[in-house]
Formats: sequence, C-alpha cells, structure tokens
Amino acid sequence: MRALLLLGVLALAAGCASAVGLDVGYPADGVNRALLASATPRRVAIGPITDRRREARLGIEPESKKDVVTRRPVSEIVRDALALEVAANGHTAAADRADVALAADVEEFRLDVLRGYGSAQFVGKVVLAVAVTDGRTGQRLLARRYVGINRRRAEADSESAPRETMDTALARAMHDLATDPDLVRAFSGISTATAR
Amino acid sequence: MRAVAVLLILLALAGCATTPPPRSAAPSFEHVRQLAVVVSGDSTFTVLEHRAEPGRTFDEILQWGMFGSYRSVLRPIAELVHRGINWLLEVDNTSDARVDLGDLTPRAAVAGAFVRALEASGRFDEIRAYGREPLGEDRRRADAIVRITVPAWGLVRVQDGDPELLSAFADARVEMVAPGSGVTIWATGEDATGAERLPLRAFTRDREFTRQQLLGVLERAGQRMASELLYARGAGR
Repeated sequence: MRALLLLGVLALAAGCASAVGLDVGYPADGVNRALLASATPRRVAIGPITDRRREARLGIEPESKKDVVTRRPVSEIVRDALALEVAANGHTAAADRADVALAADVEEFRLDVLRGYGSAQFVGKVVLAVAVTDGRTGQRLLARRYVGINRRRAEADSESAPRETMDTALARAMHDLATDPDLVRAFSGISTATAR
Repeated sequence: MRAVAVLLILLALAGCATTPPPRSAAPSFEHVRQLAVVVSGDSTFTVLEHRAEPGRTFDEILQWGMFGSYRSVLRPIAELVHRGINWLLEVDNTSDARVDLGDLTPRAAVAGAFVRALEASGRFDEIRAYGREPLGEDRRRADAIVRITVPAWGLVRVQDGDPELLSAFADARVEMVAPGSGVTIWATGEDATGAERLPLRAFTRDREFTRQQLLGVLERAGQRMASELLYARGAGR
C-alpha cells in the first residue's frame, strides 16, 4: 500500500511538473489540405531532421531564471509536424522508394519572455531550413528557410501562453511551407533550388 | 489509505489535463476566384518597449532624425510615457507615410505583398487592388472583397540582454467579405515580427537600413496573411 501511495505521489509530481518543459506541437486537427495537395501524390522520405541550435533550451523564465525546454526533442516535434502536413496534403511518408526526400535543419526554436507591467510579451521563433531532393537522383530541388514568429501579450504568469506562442510560431512556419508554390514545384520534380 | 492513493493517482491523471478549445468548422471559399483587395484604416508608427521601466530609450529614439519636425509633436507623448504609459511613442496617421518609406504607405506595402503572394499561388483568376471600396461593375465582378488594415507598425523590443534587441514589426488584419451581403467569409490578424534582432543603435545610425527593415516586415505581414488565406482556402482550384 505504501508503494502505491508513493507511486501516486510520484505520478502527481511528474504529471503536473509543467515548468519542466513545454508540450509544444502541431495539432493534427488544425492541419488542412493546402496548396501542397495540388502536387501529384508522392512518396516522401522525411528526414534527417537535425537540431542545429546552439542551445538546447528555448529560453529562460524571467522570474525563476529556469531554462524553458520542450518536453519532446525539437527534432521530433518538427518531424511530426512535417509528417502531418505531408499526409494531410495527400502524400505518403515512406522511408523506402521515395520520390522526394524532405530534410530540415532546425536553426532556431526559441522563446523570449519580456516582463512588463503586470503582463508579459512572449516572442516565439521557429526557423527551419528545409531541403527537398529527388529521391532517386539525389538532385537538390529546393532549399528554403521557413520562419515562423509569434508575438503576443499575456498575463505574466500565464501557464498556456508560452506553449501557445511556440505552437503558433511552428504552425506559421508549416503553413508557409504548405502554401509555398516552389515546394509544390519541387514535389513535382521541378528544381527551384534557390536558397532564401 | 487506499482511497488517498487512488485520489492521488486520479489527480495525476486528470489534474493536468487541458481541454482543447472548440474548433470552428473550416471556412469554405474555394469558389472565390475574383478578389477585390481594399486597403483602409489608420496606421500608427509605434515603438513598443514592453518593459518595467518605460521610456528609458525614448530620448535615443528622438535622436534618429527620422521623425524630422515631428519631434516636437512627440515630446509631450514622451513625457506621458515617462509618467508610466508603456507605449513609447505614437505618431498620428498623417505622418505614417513619411517615416522614410518614400511614396509607400504601410497599408500599400502590406497589400502589395499580399496580392503578389496570392497571384504567385495561381489560385485566383483575378486580383484587383483598390485604394477605396470598389463601386459598380468593379464591385459586382468580385467574388469577395478583402479589406486590409495595418493598425500598428514600427519597432518592438524582442529580447532582453545587453544590449537589448529590437525587431521591426507590423500588426495587420485582413477580412474577406461577400459583396452584397457583407457577410464575413474569413478573417485573421497577423503580428508580423522581423526575423532580425538588432540593438537600437543599428536602427538609429542608418536610416536606409531601418527603412529596409520596416519595409521588409510590412511585406512579411502581407505574405503571411496570404499564406493563411491560402491555407484556410484549401486545395481546390
């Protein structure tokens, strides 16, 4: 019985420890078929997704000075977001016999919190350097940087604002990707390999 | 004892659960092929500090020379700021086009980028931009009227530290309505923030650089709103 009680206490402590990390993600119910669906359905190899950030933390909580981190690895969050977007647009995520490969470097995934009078400004920023290559020839079809930023004001002690800020920044980067005419051309095998 | 344990476990499982906000039905406007884009409303140039000690950098801002004769207009506002208002400054609408954007207004910069992005998508047959509400045949031929406003734009403090870092920003809004009924088909707001973060000095010592940063973020606001419109519209052609 004591063990059960201890287990309960531990579960309570771990389950509610939201300060440890933000549960950032790209909610599946917000994903639409977009411009990317106008490309011929493709088998898409997603990866590698490489975390290129210099620091693992997103930022620092201004009062406690604790690191703000994500609960899951950032590369996993981005991979899941790309997979959702690819699938929602009628393509198939597949490791083998892929028509195109979609790789990404996570260059920034950060949150800045600026305290003001009774409120705080939250600035979330996600920068993904995405490369699309031909799955058969390896030819680079597209290299593009997608930047999602969200800036919002909320109560300084808001529990949801940090996560919502990062969710929105990620969603904006993904929406830009899914509505990029050059990505549609790249999925169709047409090279537009100009980095920007 | 057992009841306490069960209660604790239930709390652990349920106590942190959050209920996702209800999601409204996705708007459908795939039938919209002809757009009339109208820019309207006032735009205010603003420097947002959002700090516990407001107004500290106001005097530095006034040294820019960007505001020319408006310095005297801004001075009383600065004094208000120092009394506790955490907006650093606001320039009235008559001056917004003269913050060194040349002939371009903030609204025109946002709308121009918005239209170009929609045109590049190939999803629309015709997109016409108007400086005021279209009338007569122009209004009848549009499947939807898109109204763009840019209530605020300027510079915003985005990162603490030494030095603190600022970015250009533009807060814009777009609303798509059905001509005739005036029913809102779709709407969104965009808090565009420049990707580059720079010390205040970078903006104050180079007018052309500042101009480019401001123009860049205004265009970014237009592109982003176009992305969101295309995303909401779906894949239909």
